[in-house]
Amino acid sequence: MSSESSKKRKPKVIRSDGAPAEGKRNRSDTEQEGKYYSEEAEVDLRDPGRDYELYKYTCQELQRLMAEIQDLKSRGGKDVAIEIEERRIQSCVHFMTLKKLNRLAHIRLKKGRDQTHEAKQKVDAYHLQLQNLLYEVMHLQKEITKCLEFKSKHEEIDLVSLEEFYKEAPPDISKAEVTMGDPHQQTLARLDWELEQRKRLAEKYRECLSNKEKILKEIEVKKEYLSSLQPRLNSIMQASLPVQEYLFMPFDQAHKQYETARHLPPPLYVLFVQATAYGQACDKTLSVAIEGSVDEAKALFKPPEDSQDDESDSDAEEEQTTRRRPTLGVQLDDKRKEMLKRHPLSVMLDLKCKDDSVLHLTFYYLMNLNIMTVKAKVTTAMELITPISAGDLLSPDSVLSCLYPGDHGKKTPNPANQYQFDKVGILTLSDYVLELGHPYLWVQKLGGLHFPKEQPQQTVIADHSLSASHMETTMKLLKTRVQSRLALHKQFASLEHGIVPVTSDCQYLFPAKVVSRLVKWVTVAHEDYMELHFTKDIVDAGLAGDTNLYYMALIERGTAKLQAAVVLNPGYSSIPPVFQLCLNWKGEKTNSNDDNIRAMEGEVNVCYKELCGPWPSHQLLTNQLQRLCVLLDVYLETESHDDSVEGPKEFPQEKMCLRLFRGPSRMKPFKYNHPQGFFSHR
Amino acid sequence: MERAVPLAVPLGQTEVFQALQRLHMTIFSQSVSPCGKFLAAGNNYGQIAIFSLSSALSSEAKEESKKPVVTFQAHDGPVYSMVSTDRHLLSAGDGEVKAWLWAEMLKKGCKELWRRQPPYRTSLEVPEINALLLVPKENSLILAGGDCQLHTMDLETGTFTRVLRGHTDYIHCLALRERSPEVLSGGEDGAVRLWDLRTAKEVQTIEVYKHECSRPHNGRWIGCLATDSDWMVCGGGPALTLWHLRSSTPTTIFPIRAPQKHVTFYQDLILSAGQGRCVNQWQLSGELKAQVPGSSPGLLSLSLNQQPAAPECKVLTAAGNSCRVDVFTNLGYRAFSLSF
Repeated sequence: MSSESSKKRKPKVIRSDGAPAEGKRNRSDTEQEGKYYSEEAEVDLRDPGRDYELYKYTCQELQRLMAEIQDLKSRGGKDVAIEIEERRIQSCVHFMTLKKLNRLAHIRLKKGRDQTHEAKQKVDAYHLQLQNLLYEVMHLQKEITKCLEFKSKHEEIDLVSLEEFYKEAPPDISKAEVTMGDPHQQTLARLDWELEQRKRLAEKYRECLSNKEKILKEIEVKKEYLSSLQPRLNSIMQASLPVQEYLFMPFDQAHKQYETARHLPPPLYVLFVQATAYGQACDKTLSVAIEGSVDEAKALFKPPEDSQDDESDSDAEEEQTTRRRPTLGVQLDDKRKEMLKRHPLSVMLDLKCKDDSVLHLTFYYLMNLNIMTVKAKVTTAMELITPISAGDLLSPDSVLSCLYPGDHGKKTPNPANQYQFDKVGILTLSDYVLELGHPYLWVQKLGGLHFPKEQPQQTVIADHSLSASHMETTMKLLKTRVQSRLALHKQFASLEHGIVPVTSDCQYLFPAKVVSRLVKWVTVAHEDYMELHFTKDIVDAGLAGDTNLYYMALIERGTAKLQAAVVLNPGYSSIPPVFQLCLNWKGEKTNSNDDNIRAMEGEVNVCYKELCGPWPSHQLLTNQLQRLCVLLDVYLETESHDDSVEGPKEFPQEKMCLRLFRGPSRMKPFKYNHPQGFFSHR
Repeated sequence: MERAVPLAVPLGQTEVFQALQRLHMTIFSQSVSPCGKFLAAGNNYGQIAIFSLSSALSSEAKEESKKPVVTFQAHDGPVYSMVSTDRHLLSAGDGEVKAWLWAEMLKKGCKELWRRQPPYRTSLEVPEINALLLVPKENSLILAGGDCQLHTMDLETGTFTRVLRGHTDYIHCLALRERSPEVLSGGEDGAVRLWDLRTAKEVQTIEVYKHECSRPHNGRWIGCLATDSDWMVCGGGPALTLWHLRSSTPTTIFPIRAPQKHVTFYQDLILSAGQGRCVNQWQLSGELKAQVPGSSPGLLSLSLNQQPAAPECKVLTAAGNSCRVDVFTNLGYRAFSLSF
């Protein structure tokens, strides 16, 4: 009831100070008034400010009433209850007001929120629209750019330039009047013209092709004609044979040799070709021949073009063992023989030297091991009587040893061979070297075979350039070797008789009178040389290997005996012989206890270049021996006389010397000066 | 008896020649650089090699550190004697003295600073110079050798100031007596002569072969000489003997048969070396304290590196009839060898 009364009362109050904006609402409210009471509607009509004022006023009233009630209660009395009651009722009313105000506040809040929400929704809708439109715009822009960037295929074709087009195209295609103005038409016209041109060119191409076919056919015909000539030419050559012989032009013989050469294995073939070429170009005395059975060679192998020397050796060996499996009871010996088998053909080289001695070299090829070996023989124009000490000089086994330093020919140069040897129980190739020949490194090089140590290759093929680059040096070395060995041979014969053969052009190196004599010259075994007590230095320096030859010379004068141990390197005379001395005279003197003996060794070992004589210095060894005799003379004659010992000197001084001793080591004067003939110090 | 044979390396002509040269090499003289870190050695082929002592003695020394830093041909004949001043190396051999700058020598292609030849009487044969002696007080160098005379050369001007004659055969060795100053020279004629430098006259002669230390079967020659104010030790053909100079009497004869080629005083010992492998250490009383074997069959020169600038390189080096210089870090054993 009170609410109704307040409702009635309130509109009046509101109307009087309501804002014009609330006018509409007022009307709707009054319309609804008749139907039902809407507090929401009422909210719109009220002024929040005034409500706030009302709230404050109500709170104040309440406070005042509460205070009065408390006063009254504390005063006490009868009236008090009625007053309290009155005031209570008033405060209830105020409470009601407060509650109403609270409700209104809530409603206002809700309304406010709703409005905000609506507005937000609207904004969102617009925003969405905006996004959509922007998206569309972007899309359209993209489409536009795509369209603008479109390149039609026709632009990839390189069209002829405009001027050319107008020049060359026939008017019905170029249609100048239309195309000049309209670029679209112009391009179309140009494309047309392009098409025309291409068609014409395709025609031309077809014509050319057919021409080519025709010409090829003609060439075939002519070729056949030429090949039919071959048999006719052969018959002419046969007919000309007698003429060749009559005129001494053995082209045919050379031709036959080349025929045989075709069956040689590649390394021997390389050697043959290079040696023949060298012989023709540089050295007319070199003769090359092929020995052996061609039929066997043909039987062994297929034609040289697909020879299986190129395959790995283990494959070749495997083939052989598979072939052999049918025959039972295979001995290890047979396997070894098979591995070491030689090719049936061999190349023979004959090197003739100036004095009519000949070095015969026979080169073999070991097929399974892919190495070449050589056997050597020296024949002289006259029969040679071999002195005892010269036994090893020209022996086939050692005459070519160490042609290049370190090339002793006892080991196989192909590292792959070691595995093959292990399979058949061969320890080393040196056991078979006597019958098979020596596998020297220079022989492999002449055959074009190169076995690099760092990167072992699967297949080693014969190389012509390797052979050519080594041919000249090797031939020259071989000749020098033979000649120096023959010279030594002759010299040894003389040395064994106690005569040091000094040639007339080397006489100037020595004084006229030499009293010390060579009494003995013998060979010494390598082990015996190493056991001598005065050769330790040479052995320690690594100069006494087992490829060298060792000799002992004995020089005497009076009671003095000088032993000289000689190391002859196979590379004599470019590598000098090395002497070590031991003097037995008033005690044993060697280089460790007598500085002068050391100096004498130095005179022959280090100063050997003076003793080389004229090239090719075959006189080196004999000159060294003669010098030793001179040095012994000087040593004995310049020995200072011991005052405490009775008697004259054993060796009176006959040599002319400027000074007897010089320097801190008190050296004797060992250097001979020509032509004045006196001795001085170095 | 099986001897271990070294691996035979394929030797061509040059390798064989070099090996033979090294086998027959004799190192006659040594000299230490003023900084103490380098050693120069001169051999019979006229070459001088400079070794780096500091790198050979360092803890990371490899085989290459024992080879010379640089080798060059200094003279045509053997280099018999070398001394070092505080900046130069003076080397002498066949008749002339050459000077080299220590700082320049380590570079390749070094040229000598100067060379001088003393005025010789004979022109037939150029006499060798066997001994060089520095006299610091008057900044001069004394040379002696094959022409039996002592020549004095002033190091600043290079002129030869004095000639001291008296020996009848060539001179082997020189020693300096600081106090007077006097020079002692020993020669092939068997006499040790004392010369006063101020008066340029011979003041004393000791004919060693006339005393009880003589050994006639070896000869009379005096090969080595060292002096320590009143005392002198000399040897060679005669036995190694310690002499009291003022009274010219031999006090101790050292019992070693081999002729000695180099002798020097060191602290309270006498070090000597000669024919035979060992460096001998003697007490002044004549007792043999130690015999340390080296690597050469005979020794010709000993050098003590006492340069104050390099105390870590304080070593004794010995060289002689081989291409090797033995280095002794302490006198008890041979530490290693440098090699040409």
